[in-house]
Amino acid sequence: MNMFTYTEIILGVMVLVYILAKIFKISTELSMLAAALAGSLAGGFGIPPRQIAEGSITYLDINLIFITATLFMNILKESGGIAFVVRGILKKFHKNRALLLILLTFLLLVPGALTGAGSVTVLITGGMVAVVLNYMGISKSKTAAIIFIIAGLSAAAPPVSLWAMMTAAGVNMPYVGFFMPLLIPCVVAALITIFLLGWKGEDTNIEKALQELPLPPDKMNWFKVILPFFVFLFFIFMGRQWPHSTPIIGLPLMFLFAALTSFLLSPVKLNFIKISRDTIEQLLPLIGTLTAVGILIQIMTLTGVRGLLAVTAVTLPVTLVFAGLFLMMPVSEAILMYGAAPVIGVPLVLLFNTIGLNPIVALAGLSVIWPLGDALPPTAIIGRLTVQVVGYEDSYTKFLKTCIVPAVLIMIIGTVMVIFSKHLGFLTGL
Amino acid sequence: MNISAIRKIIFSAIGLILFIPAGISFYQSRHLKEPVVLSPGVSTVKRLSDYFPAIKGSTDDCHIYFFEGKEKGATLMILGGTHPEEPAGRLAPWLFAENAVMEKGRLIVVLSANRSASTVTRIGGGYPPDFTIPTAWGGQKFRMGDRWSNPLDQWPDPEVYIHYPSNQNLAYVDIRNLNRTWPGRPNGTLTEKTTYAFMELIRKENVDIFIDLHEAELQYPVISTIVTHEKGQELATMVSMMLTDMEGFNIGTEFSPKNLHGLSHREVGDYSNAISLLFEAPEPFLDATRGKTTREQLLTGKDAFVMKAGEHGLLFEKIDENGWPIDVRVGRHTSTILQTMESWTEDHPKKPLVCRNIPRYAEVIEKGIGTYLHDPKKANSKRVVFE
Repeated sequence: MNMFTYTEIILGVMVLVYILAKIFKISTELSMLAAALAGSLAGGFGIPPRQIAEGSITYLDINLIFITATLFMNILKESGGIAFVVRGILKKFHKNRALLLILLTFLLLVPGALTGAGSVTVLITGGMVAVVLNYMGISKSKTAAIIFIIAGLSAAAPPVSLWAMMTAAGVNMPYVGFFMPLLIPCVVAALITIFLLGWKGEDTNIEKALQELPLPPDKMNWFKVILPFFVFLFFIFMGRQWPHSTPIIGLPLMFLFAALTSFLLSPVKLNFIKISRDTIEQLLPLIGTLTAVGILIQIMTLTGVRGLLAVTAVTLPVTLVFAGLFLMMPVSEAILMYGAAPVIGVPLVLLFNTIGLNPIVALAGLSVIWPLGDALPPTAIIGRLTVQVVGYEDSYTKFLKTCIVPAVLIMIIGTVMVIFSKHLGFLTGL
Repeated sequence: MNISAIRKIIFSAIGLILFIPAGISFYQSRHLKEPVVLSPGVSTVKRLSDYFPAIKGSTDDCHIYFFEGKEKGATLMILGGTHPEEPAGRLAPWLFAENAVMEKGRLIVVLSANRSASTVTRIGGGYPPDFTIPTAWGGQKFRMGDRWSNPLDQWPDPEVYIHYPSNQNLAYVDIRNLNRTWPGRPNGTLTEKTTYAFMELIRKENVDIFIDLHEAELQYPVISTIVTHEKGQELATMVSMMLTDMEGFNIGTEFSPKNLHGLSHREVGDYSNAISLLFEAPEPFLDATRGKTTREQLLTGKDAFVMKAGEHGLLFEKIDENGWPIDVRVGRHTSTILQTMESWTEDHPKKPLVCRNIPRYAEVIEKGIGTYLHDPKKANSKRVVFE
């Protein structure tokens, strides 16, 4: 049997098992694990413990960043810091709608940008921003769409963009030079989204909004909110300024120091163990996804399925690839979640690199489109989470329809970045 | 007990059942002993820590094999195992360690430059933990390694890797890449200390020519070539011309970019008196478009998918149904090393380098690498060293 037939059969088996698992309502993580094991069996590798174990720790470092960054955000929220910031912004800028919308956009962008997870944005600031948006006369469906789209963009925004990091790792490309190519489209698209959906409305009803927003502790102040961020940035600065005299502690420990600072500065007594447990509970689906994706990719590489996808992608007509990005990215995300990056992203970046495009800018373009798939079935995790947090009770399809216009604009931005990546190469600063 | 608890227990049990054999496999490949039957030409075996004591007792405290010629001459150093996922880069110097006899000049051979990286396989790569080279006495097993030092020896990585002393920004993971940490740092990470120790060796032993052996994926533009520091341009050009004319395989030359830091071909030349060269042979196993990831693919270099990529003009080296067998890749390296000695000697008759007992390209292909590996069981145990 030649290599093409062999790998096509394995791919077929993996897809079939995944679909069957989903039909039986098995979670996406376990469905991916089942598909991986079926692929290994079909490929004649049996159940290979070493490969499974190795695959399961592929994203160990990323998981640690996830956990520690989210712990930091949760401590900040529990100490009343987030509520303090939202209320502060609302009080100061409620008369200036444009400025208020801009500041709310940044409030939504920060948690996801730091942690790489849109779900963290939804959970940390999404609920409170939704309250403000509602009292600005914005409908619940538009509010949900704003939170969802910006949460997705926050996950793609630097410094931590999992899609870019995972794809870059898959092609041996350093995760360097991505800051501006990710930051600019994410900020621009987020602002377009909030102004598109939130510009029209009523005057902000500040009294009602403040009544509904949680009350921060009396002793909370800007210093207590900002200092933990400074601690984090201090470690980054030290490592960059004096790299050869500063011990390497890694991003997870930097986030832990920021979390510790926030914990010590909290005006209310916090139950650290409970917040830690809640954080793990909150992230368990995400950690499970990354673990399952790691195993899936390991088995796909072992059996040659990854090679099949890669060689198919790099030999496709380029125009077809460009034209299909708007469909390929969100659909792959909806099915595989972060697994879409190594499975689809890696061959695409190889193709872009081979045809002379700038792989960093092109990958940044793809990363902006990917999160849109998080509202689509079968997974739709972030979409459903947003609807729940915002308290939107109308039909899910209506929510999706509200997302269409900004989503199309984001697809255009991402695709244009890919096609003109060579011209936009200056953004990388390399 | 509720269903959720039962489910958790079942999944934990399955996890344990899988992780015990996986753990044993990881332990075995980290501790696999690879025998080296010393060539009669080996005069001394030292340790890297003899040149930089801070490395003593670490995973990277590798063996250094010395070959003293009957007549004095130049000193050539072969560095194998910079990237242990490139097996020809270890096997070619292995043939020297087990067979070479220096007639003139001095030879220094390293088989596991980044020993730490040889104890781990690429995460997500689906690599086999080891591979076996067939021999008349059964076969010799070697560790399959990675490009980067084992995180068990060096972790965590920084947010960005800033190279010493150039301050050039590199990918964070490359702080564990031996070919990005030259010329090293005495108080740095394990990988930086390792390259610093090698620099001390190069300086103290007055190495004239330094050769770093590698393999590359076919989609990578720097392939089938000699990358040379400006000090070695004439030598590399001569070697390339001679090999292409005389031995029937093409090998080009490329000049080491002055602004690309951390690589041996740049920093060894800049921070010592040695001419620094880096040889690249083709290894389809490293290509992202490769098919099934197996020991067979690693050793035969046959791959239908990489061929398909080649048909679309996406490769920088040819590939056909014959693939790139390990004997061809190792033979390229042995011939290129021997030709380097010959071309150097022609230009420096007062500092010659003459080596015998090492097969060239055609001979390695004809007889296979296994012919040149010796049975450790039949050798004098005092002449067997384990990598």
